[in-house]
Amino acid sequence: MAGDERFKQEVLRLAGAEVLTCIQCGTCSASCPTAFLMNPSIRRLIKFCLEGKKEEALHNETLWLCTSCLLCTVRCPRGIRPKAVVSALKDMAEREGLRSKDAAYEQFFLKQIKDYGRIAELALTAEFLLVFPQGAVQSMQMGLELLPKGKIDLKIEKIKGRDEVKRIVEELSK
Amino acid sequence: MPIGVYVCHCGLNIAGVLNMEELKSFAEKLPDVAVARDLQFSCSDIGQEQIQKDIAELKLDRVVVAACSPRLHEPTFRRAISKAGLNPYMLEMANIREQCSWVHMEQPAMATEKAKDLIAMAVAKAALLKPLEPESIPVSKNVLVVGGGVAGIAAALDLADSGLHVFLVERRPTIGGYMALLTDVFPTNDCSICVLGPKMSEVYNHPDITLITYAEVLGVEGSVGNFTVSGVRRARYVDEKLCKGCINECAGVCPVEVPSEYDFGIGKRKAIYIPYPQAVPLVACVDPKACIGCARCVEACPAQAVKLDQEPQDFKLNVGAIIVATGWQPFDATRKEEYGFGRYRDVITTLQMERMLNASGPTKGDVVQPSTGKIAERVAFLQCVGSRDSTVGNLYCSRICCMASLKNAQLVKEKYPHTDITIYYIDIRACGEGYEEFYVRAQKLGINFVRSRVSCIDEVEGELFLIFEDTQTGEMKKVKHDLAVLSVGLEPDEKADVLGNLLGLSRRPDGFFEIAHPKMRPVEAHIDGVFIAGCASGPKEIPISIAQGSAAASKAVKLLHKGVLELEPTSAYVDPEKCIKCKLCVDLCPKKAIAVKSPAYVDEAACKGCGSCAAACPADAINMRFFSDEQIIAQVQAATEEKREFPLIVAFLCNWCSYGAADLAGTSRIQYPTNARNIRVMCSARVDPSFVLEALRRGADGVLIAGCRIGECHYRDGNYQALQRVNVLKGVLEKIGLDPGRVKIVWCAASEGEIFAKDIRDFIGELKAMGPIGTELKKGLSEVKNEETALP
Repeated sequence: MAGDERFKQEVLRLAGAEVLTCIQCGTCSASCPTAFLMNPSIRRLIKFCLEGKKEEALHNETLWLCTSCLLCTVRCPRGIRPKAVVSALKDMAEREGLRSKDAAYEQFFLKQIKDYGRIAELALTAEFLLVFPQGAVQSMQMGLELLPKGKIDLKIEKIKGRDEVKRIVEELSK
Repeated sequence: MPIGVYVCHCGLNIAGVLNMEELKSFAEKLPDVAVARDLQFSCSDIGQEQIQKDIAELKLDRVVVAACSPRLHEPTFRRAISKAGLNPYMLEMANIREQCSWVHMEQPAMATEKAKDLIAMAVAKAALLKPLEPESIPVSKNVLVVGGGVAGIAAALDLADSGLHVFLVERRPTIGGYMALLTDVFPTNDCSICVLGPKMSEVYNHPDITLITYAEVLGVEGSVGNFTVSGVRRARYVDEKLCKGCINECAGVCPVEVPSEYDFGIGKRKAIYIPYPQAVPLVACVDPKACIGCARCVEACPAQAVKLDQEPQDFKLNVGAIIVATGWQPFDATRKEEYGFGRYRDVITTLQMERMLNASGPTKGDVVQPSTGKIAERVAFLQCVGSRDSTVGNLYCSRICCMASLKNAQLVKEKYPHTDITIYYIDIRACGEGYEEFYVRAQKLGINFVRSRVSCIDEVEGELFLIFEDTQTGEMKKVKHDLAVLSVGLEPDEKADVLGNLLGLSRRPDGFFEIAHPKMRPVEAHIDGVFIAGCASGPKEIPISIAQGSAAASKAVKLLHKGVLELEPTSAYVDPEKCIKCKLCVDLCPKKAIAVKSPAYVDEAACKGCGSCAAACPADAINMRFFSDEQIIAQVQAATEEKREFPLIVAFLCNWCSYGAADLAGTSRIQYPTNARNIRVMCSARVDPSFVLEALRRGADGVLIAGCRIGECHYRDGNYQALQRVNVLKGVLEKIGLDPGRVKIVWCAASEGEIFAKDIRDFIGELKAMGPIGTELKKGLSEVKNEETALP
């Protein structure tokens, strides 16, 4: 096979050997509530894994659109767990250093908790949009609509006992 | 007991490797041997005449032929000695060709040594042979056919036309099975009942068929040739002899209406009913669950046939063979909740579609939306509902649903050319004569095909939407249809469980009845005298079910037409004095030949001589008439009498696969070392642990047990039993300080000569590493001594 066999084997190890039995029926994609946003569909994602197409399998938005609702896994007639494939690919993407929106967002989120003990929405959005500027314009437009209605807090609030929260976060991050 | 030993040259096949002179003089000196000769070709007329002459002149009472495999010429020599007046079972063969000269061509000296052992083993066994008389038992010429679907009908008619008498037992009030309910059938689109109806009435009118409908089998006793079957005929509450089948009179006045099971819920019937107009027998039946007992039908019946006080009737039949044609049941579509069957009225199954398309069905042939009664304009067929689906436990393909949907789609399209029809499929499976052409025909008619498995059906304000990914374009879609037809798969009939358990039939993982061999014995059950036809052994189309019905009939005719059954005298027998009534043998017997009487009793007609019971009996109360304990022990002792090489292996080979594999290694001239002394047994399960211990006690370095590959045992699961015993034995060896690796069990098919040779080579390697038997005991002993001396 022309594809990356090691990549394929890694997916099978993480997501189960049943993936080999996929018949490409499309039950998983058709069951997926966010399928309309995905490209490629979960079905094709699985095909990429089986073909050893690492690039196509890891560099896509589909992985990060999965809501973990598990409908695909419940309905697959071959007993494959497409959700497990997605999780495996996410892990691999992160190990490869592919920075995902999710991971970046989580990082900023956690930093604010550490620093302020709670979230400052405006600052968090701003920080995130600096790294992933796609969609910044829409966000700003929405922000301008929300601002006069008092839906956005411009202040950064800090809680008492921030040191303790910081310690908790650091302890759990070990 | 004078024994004659004949060592065959087989031209140069044997004599080219082995030293014939040495073998002959070795044989002469063996106990009880009156004459030993070497013959050019023992199987030739000259060879056979020499043996016959010696029998007459020297009064030989048993004969050993050291030549080719007994699988080749045992019948020849049995015939030869019986012509000379000996019992045919007073023959033993030593296999010095396939299992010696042909596989040890480069070691003539060692091969000759091995051949000596093989001859000594055969002579030792021959000394213990007993004359056996093949018994014949009278058999019943009646056959029970269970199930009156198309397979059962085909079987019944062929049997009755061949002169046997048939009892056809059907659970429903009419025969005809599912085929009678279908509309036109693929791939020719001819009317189903038009071709089946005449066969149904032929069954009814045949003088040699006793039709027992609305009945169930509740008990089976006996074995091949003589089964006693008991059952009950449920009460119809209508006298079959009086009823004229006019039905309008009684059903016309009946006030109760219930959904008809013969229309799969879309049509209705009365509490007194005839399943469908072509039912056979054409006799009314009262549904006791629906009937309110108003007795208006009793008054209305002009023939006074309705008898609400009718009682169930027991029946008892004597039959020689049983054909199981219990068929299938449709997959329960409510189990696929995402398709909404049972909740959404316009979601129906294939069978409901069949009834709708049927001109005598509930809609008189109109294809309508059940919710509105309007003609459906956008029809969807969903394939693989309950098939190829591990979420419902049915991994298999139901084989007929693709063709059924192609056919129904065509019928709808022909009737309503403007209907928009789409078949949603994973793969279209159209394997059969004219089937692919049938698919092309559907395509040309303008039926749409979407390669997709529909994920779910939503009903929004009374309209059905199918949600799926078109896997060829990659589009996610939500498409509106008026009518969704679920192509439900075929499952084994649950109600056939009772019969299956009575007969001791085994089931495959897919739930259908297992046949004796997945390719070579397609209509035979594991139990002698029991045959399986049609969908009882897996989903099948109509022509194949008919072929199987006929095949099962011909098997039954072959078995019973002579009126007597010759039994192989190789069965097990019980010593009632020794039996401790533990019933272990009853559970083990793959043929259900041992009865739970007290003491145990072997039905020799059913026993196939595998010998598992004899190996398992804790009281040694069971022995075999052929391959007896004493004979096998004698072979073991002869093999270990003189240890001619290291390591010395005593090998037990099952007759069907591994002995065949060893023979094949010979015919393929696969060379391997000479260390093994092979003993033929009927099944690896025959190997009594005492045989193994005797071999090791007398100095064999290892014991090999070879059986058929797991799952391919000719007695169903003998090799599993052998494996279990070997595992226990290994524990015993370990306890007494022997290396458990000295007992080895291997599996090889009759086609695996190479694997057999490799098994021998591997085992020799392992035994060489262990050293001669007892090495570990000496080592253990010296370790103990060392420890003792190390103590202060």
